[in-house]
Amino acid sequence: MRIDTIIQSLSRASICAVIGNFMERVAFESVGKVFRHRPALFNWLGKEREGQTVALRNLSFSAAEGEVIVLLGPNGSGKTTTLKLISTVLLPDAGVVRVGGFDAARNAGEVRRQVGIAVASERSFFVRLSARENLNFFAALDEVPHSQRNGRIDEVLHNTGLEEQADTLVMKFSSGMYQRLGIARALVKQPSVLLLDEPTRSLDAAGTAHFWTMIRALAQQRTTVLLATHNFSEASAIADRLLLLRRGELLANRTSKGESAETLRAFYFGMTGEIDEAASAFNV
Amino acid sequence: MISTLDKLYAVLRRDLLTAVRHRSGFVLTLAGVLTELAAFYFLSRAIGPGFRPDGLDYFPFLLVGTGVYTFFVMSTQAFLNAVQQAQQTGTLEVLMTTSTAPAELIVLSSVSAFAGNLFNLTVYLVAGIALFRASIHVNFFSLLVAATLCLTIALALGIAAATFQVAFQKGSALVWLLGSGAWFLSGAMFSIHSLPAPLEVFARSFPLTYAVDSMRRALLEGQSISEMASTLVILTGFAVTLLPFALAGLSFSLRRARQNGTLSFY
Repeated sequence: MRIDTIIQSLSRASICAVIGNFMERVAFESVGKVFRHRPALFNWLGKEREGQTVALRNLSFSAAEGEVIVLLGPNGSGKTTTLKLISTVLLPDAGVVRVGGFDAARNAGEVRRQVGIAVASERSFFVRLSARENLNFFAALDEVPHSQRNGRIDEVLHNTGLEEQADTLVMKFSSGMYQRLGIARALVKQPSVLLLDEPTRSLDAAGTAHFWTMIRALAQQRTTVLLATHNFSEASAIADRLLLLRRGELLANRTSKGESAETLRAFYFGMTGEIDEAASAFNV
Repeated sequence: MISTLDKLYAVLRRDLLTAVRHRSGFVLTLAGVLTELAAFYFLSRAIGPGFRPDGLDYFPFLLVGTGVYTFFVMSTQAFLNAVQQAQQTGTLEVLMTTSTAPAELIVLSSVSAFAGNLFNLTVYLVAGIALFRASIHVNFFSLLVAATLCLTIALALGIAAATFQVAFQKGSALVWLLGSGAWFLSGAMFSIHSLPAPLEVFARSFPLTYAVDSMRRALLEGQSISEMASTLVILTGFAVTLLPFALAGLSFSLRRARQNGTLSFY
């Protein structure tokens, strides 16, 4: 068969996917995102802010296969927006977000197949279903083959320490259990890109340590992880690379493997210009 | 196709499990159905046998009219509630990150919402016939065609409510419109022939009017497809126009919400 015949027989999407395998798993190319505030009628009745918030300005970075990238930055710096753009929940106003070579705006379906996301303050479950039933539901929507579904659900329940609560209704869960279930849901589709927004905020110390070990293991299995956090110990424990954001701008993009939490803390406050009150008050 | 059926099964199972775990919900719904039927039965008896709208006994007329009308309103409401709850709990954003296309997901959810209300409608009609002895004369084939067209239109209305909710956070406006204005314009409780001429013309522009009429013809008068052809043609026209229009509107509003970051606003 001639090479041009083979190329013609490939769909545009499959060509993108093949090319994508040789590229970075996630790439941001000059991405901008603005949220516009449109006050309701009768704004004089109760004053509401007008104008716009620039969430991301000209953000460019890439994440390789199996790399763990930690996003650090103050509240409102654009960390969650970055994760939402990758997950296709948001569309960029400028630039391109690529996942596995696919444009997240134009090939959202292909991107969603590759991405799993767990967000902070996780309540997004069907509370009258058990943990297992919730995972089964989301696995069906994520097109996990029926024959593999139960095995995968058992595996993620085990990995997130929810085996004993598998058949408990989610409405009876604590915050930490919700968070574990959110992580389990993100993992059940075996994503090649895992997005985590403050994933250990409600976890206990043992759960957090286990989670960090799991993230490193996933990275070794070539899963790309992007994780937003305010926790320097977490960043120190798992990050291959660090992105530091402030007001939507990228302040730093550097490798950070092996750096201590204290080093990261000093770097963070030095770069953002924020005052480390804890350092002066408690001599941290 | 298998994947879509698998997803539909997952959505139906989720909603069925949620419904049965609201332990008092089933009992209260059944009690509500019986109370409503009893009210309509005694209303029709109080009015007397002389009142025969469109040549039909009043109780069967009411039974089908209110049943179909309630099905439309409750289905749209149920679907809207599902979207609103998903926004409030943050489930909507997470659902939008699954491998299922957003529009497909919302249609699957709407099918589930309608299945529940179709069950309620069936219980309502069967209870009316069995317990209150409403006289019927069914043409099953006509009933199947009319019910399919009614379902398609109800689906379009549900999707339109979801579109309003996603775009303006105000899907309740459509439900309010259905609940407040359409009940008397649709001929659910009395014939639209008894309305003033301008209002009758207005009523004839509503798909619900034809939905109610077609179900009465198929269920109570046993009319064949050819006998009720004109009503079915108009219903088909509404169905093939409204559904694609609603789906296009939904796709547009979802994309706009992703652009504006308002997907979880409610």
